[in-house]
Amino acid sequence: MDTITISQEDFLKFREFFYRKTGIQFEDSKRYFVDKRLIERIEATDSKTFRNYFVMLRFEVSGSEIQTLTNLMTVNETYFFREEYQFKCMVNSILPEITTHKKDRRPIRIWSVPSSSGEEPYSIAMYLLEQWPGINQWDVEIISSDIDTRMIAQARKGFYSPRSVQNLPKYLLDKYFKPRDDGYQMCDDLKQAVEFTRVNLMQAADVRGYRNFDVIFCRNLLIYFDDLSRRQAADTFFDALNPGGFLCLGHSESMSRISSLYQIRKFSDSVVYQKSREIL
Amino acid sequence: MALIKQQSSELSEIIEEDERKRVRDCASLAQQLSDPDPAARRWAARDLIDCEDASVPLVAQLQQEQNRSVREIILTSLVQLGDDVAVAGLVECLRSEDASLRNEAIEAMKLLPDAVAPIMGKLLHDADPDVRIFAVNILESLRHELVEEWLKEVIERDPHVNVCATAVDLLSEVGTVTSREALENLKVRFAEEPYICFAADLAIKRICST
Repeated sequence: MDTITISQEDFLKFREFFYRKTGIQFEDSKRYFVDKRLIERIEATDSKTFRNYFVMLRFEVSGSEIQTLTNLMTVNETYFFREEYQFKCMVNSILPEITTHKKDRRPIRIWSVPSSSGEEPYSIAMYLLEQWPGINQWDVEIISSDIDTRMIAQARKGFYSPRSVQNLPKYLLDKYFKPRDDGYQMCDDLKQAVEFTRVNLMQAADVRGYRNFDVIFCRNLLIYFDDLSRRQAADTFFDALNPGGFLCLGHSESMSRISSLYQIRKFSDSVVYQKSREIL
Repeated sequence: MALIKQQSSELSEIIEEDERKRVRDCASLAQQLSDPDPAARRWAARDLIDCEDASVPLVAQLQQEQNRSVREIILTSLVQLGDDVAVAGLVECLRSEDASLRNEAIEAMKLLPDAVAPIMGKLLHDADPDVRIFAVNILESLRHELVEEWLKEVIERDPHVNVCATAVDLLSEVGTVTSREALENLKVRFAEEPYICFAADLAIKRICST
């Protein structure tokens, strides 16, 4: 079998195409990472050359190959209670403020994106159940989305490695998980608490239905986007949030350079961003 | 009270209901840019991106739009389009009396290095010194290989002290030793301006130390 090679021109062509489809931009330093996965898919689809594969990728009606490739190209490393200070902020400051201003009894809605394999949305669920007294007075919906269907399937299974749960206090591990083989199986009650959906934040048609959220967690995703994609994501979150809703980003991310529409809120546990209650 | 779930099928229903409410053809989207509801204007500005000649209605709305959130999404769409009409519309904003709109246009133009580069020379020679200063502001984070050349050209020939001051400040951040001569000449041209001499010396010091 001939060796499959990806030329510099192929790489640039693919990078541009993939960016337009997903908003994810690969730097030159990621060349090896991208080439390796492209060659893997060229072989798996028996396309033989980059050119054949690229034509198929662009014109395939079902879109299944671009989804498979996206699954391979995205980074999905996370664990329970990662950047826990933001969950503390949620229960100590954000939710009390939201419930104070809420004019109806409709559920509080939280969107966690990207879901990755579910550690973040399930952490939110546990935090609400364990640390927020308001859960006795309010219904809460947690919706979590990812571009990677493989990750969503994994999240729905609720099976985690010891490394993934290493930050969880023992009482929570005992309460919500059962040790099994080489990992931990989450209990059904917690699994049922989160709705997982597939979303590409760069596709207006995908995100149109995502509205009326009170809190959005989008942590450590924008760092993979370029400036324009960050702007698009900021616009999407703005439309998805209720007036007065909150946006939580990762510790190294800031909305200040991306959009002027959000107010910075400095709480004792964390800095977060808020959509104004007034019409701008 | 508890954690509850909305089924994903309900999300689809929301989208379908929305589609029923609002006709999504291009002509209707262009009309919806002047809908009284800012949310409708935002969605129209976003969805117009797939329409032919979308920059024309977007630019027209940008000039009169008072809602910041709608303006922001119009600007995002214009950056995505990045065609001649979009860039010309952004340039027009640089002449606006509205400082917010000017700044928003500058930020948008920074994201369009390939589209802005061909007109940068013209902007840097504009009759209005304020527009020339805004052009230098765009260079602040325009990812283009000619940024230093453009700045050198400004400090070598622009007659306005504030334009040169803005350029020299930026050169001290992005300049290399190739700008040294231009900086020395600038000090001679504006020998009576203490700030220019100070800023040029500082730029030379920084450039030479790197």
